[in-house]
Amino acid sequence: MEIKYTIQGLLIYAAMAAYVFAFVTSLLLYLLTFVTSLLRRTKAGHLLYFLGFITTVLALSKQLLYLFGFIIAVLAFGYRWYDVRHVPLQNLFEVFLCLGMIIYPVSLFCRRVLRVGGQCADMLIGAIMLFPAGFVFSAQPRQLPPALQCWVFAPHVAVYVLSYIFMAKAAFQAIYQLAGEPSYYDEKFLPPEEATCRMICVGFPLLTLGLVLGSYWGKLAWGDYWGWDPKELWSLASWLVYIGYFHFRYMFGKKHPRINSLWAITAMAVIVVTLLWVNLSRFFSGLHSYAT
Amino acid sequence: MSRFRRALMWAGLIAIILLIFLSIYGAFVGAERAKDFFNSLPLSVYWLALTVMLIAGVGSFRRLVRVPSLLLIHLGCILVLVGAMWGSDAGHELQRRVSGIDKFPRGNMVIYEGRSTNLVQLEDDMPIDSFGELPFSIRLKDFRLEYYEPAYLQIQSREEQRWKIPVKINTEFSLGADLGTVTIVKAFENFKITIDGDKRTAFDAPQPGYNPALEVQIKHPDGTVRTQYAFKRFPGHIHTEDKFLLRYQRTISDYVSELQVIKNKEVVAEKSIEVNHPLHFGGYHFYQHYYDARAGQYTLLMVVSDSGLNVVYAGFLMLCIGVFWQLWPRRLSFAGAKLKSG
Repeated sequence: MEIKYTIQGLLIYAAMAAYVFAFVTSLLLYLLTFVTSLLRRTKAGHLLYFLGFITTVLALSKQLLYLFGFIIAVLAFGYRWYDVRHVPLQNLFEVFLCLGMIIYPVSLFCRRVLRVGGQCADMLIGAIMLFPAGFVFSAQPRQLPPALQCWVFAPHVAVYVLSYIFMAKAAFQAIYQLAGEPSYYDEKFLPPEEATCRMICVGFPLLTLGLVLGSYWGKLAWGDYWGWDPKELWSLASWLVYIGYFHFRYMFGKKHPRINSLWAITAMAVIVVTLLWVNLSRFFSGLHSYAT
Repeated sequence: MSRFRRALMWAGLIAIILLIFLSIYGAFVGAERAKDFFNSLPLSVYWLALTVMLIAGVGSFRRLVRVPSLLLIHLGCILVLVGAMWGSDAGHELQRRVSGIDKFPRGNMVIYEGRSTNLVQLEDDMPIDSFGELPFSIRLKDFRLEYYEPAYLQIQSREEQRWKIPVKINTEFSLGADLGTVTIVKAFENFKITIDGDKRTAFDAPQPGYNPALEVQIKHPDGTVRTQYAFKRFPGHIHTEDKFLLRYQRTISDYVSELQVIKNKEVVAEKSIEVNHPLHFGGYHFYQHYYDARAGQYTLLMVVSDSGLNVVYAGFLMLCIGVFWQLWPRRLSFAGAKLKSG
């Protein structure tokens, strides 16, 4: 755990703070909506008008804070790119920085196009993703070793990073589903079970492409498209859990929504192991050890 | 769903779950043991059963044939499995017996600069001195290491102060009024030193060797001048009277072997291979694998048979096209249409 007193570090902390404030504002907004719904029953006219005004201000602030966090995260990522002079996806510090950056556009895309909500959770995911970059992983710039100097490097990591965000959102929706269907949800958005499925449907092709590109790259660099390396095996396991999800859902549809959700959460847990434990633990030393 | 198809779906699901657990087990035992494990007889039976199950699935589920994307996904998986089996050690043995194709799966070649060879030391279950012969020879024209520019000199005082300066010959660098200045006088590729009484002469040895070093002049504030050497291969090198620990930091950016393929005494192909850029010739890929770290006189190539590779790549392509086709257009257009109507 270290605090980074550098421009890079300060940008990350600013983005994190914006995401956290946006999240807190979201919570306040939920609280206010709840209070307003209670007051409506008592017909407290003036107070309702005032609360409506506050709600509008908070909703606007939340969006602005979230957007501000994203812009700062883009700056942090761009600064890193300029600093290391290659696509900054070499190690976990850079990967988590990228994750913290792309959460905003993914969240926006999910709301506007895929009808999947959970923006409040996205803000929290953004802050959680930036935390390891800000406090845990070293930001020491490193030159690319020969194996990483390949055109597949950036697309392989980028599609994985993007798929992880979709899968993380799928897992959050699955947790909502397990926690019990909310009595009220915005009709603009899909119910959690369907939202989980849609997120997985969008993220899974990216996960597949990441796996295939990694395999192709392995052949170019190491002579094997499959080396039975721990990272490869864990990523295969996560891919297979989603394959299992699809087959289970094809067999039973929405008859067992809780089991569907458990598949999605299990897959995300395996992804977390693939991304973190495999790289950080001595248990799993292998060809991907440089990516720490 | 008929009883057979339901049973097939369950069998498929169980096979997937089993493979999840096997993959996790493999991750814990390490790559070498995992490779042996996944190539063992029971697992070979499993791979074969999985392939048969996939083929049976395509044959019995009409939807898998009617929906092209689903067909691509499942055929892609079948091709990957078939290609991998064809390219495995057992697959090579089968090729030898059935069609008389005599290829070895993989091995290593050591080639010295200016020499050629067609001998490949075989890997895996073969005895240590087993060699395979290629129907052509590979000649190493030149081997070289390439480095990132600039290289750096790291300086650390006994009070734990640190500096990192780019290597520029005859450029003075100030360490502050209390400590003096540092000048890099000369860079060596193969450092050697002769000692004649009190006189020491450092020089670049012309003989094969690899010992990169820097000659550094340190001017102290009292006017005294001292010469120190920083070595790439010996980063902790320091004398008791030295005030600074010096490190020569030079990062390798690439390993390059210039190869020629010789058949019937004629050069039929030529390529500079480096990491991520192998040579493909005569049914084998040649990879830059290792090199002579002491003197840079030879290169070590990894030779891998390309049997089954195109089948695996075709499977990858079909799998990717199928997955995107199946999951993206329908979901995205459906979501968009709903939003517009809503």
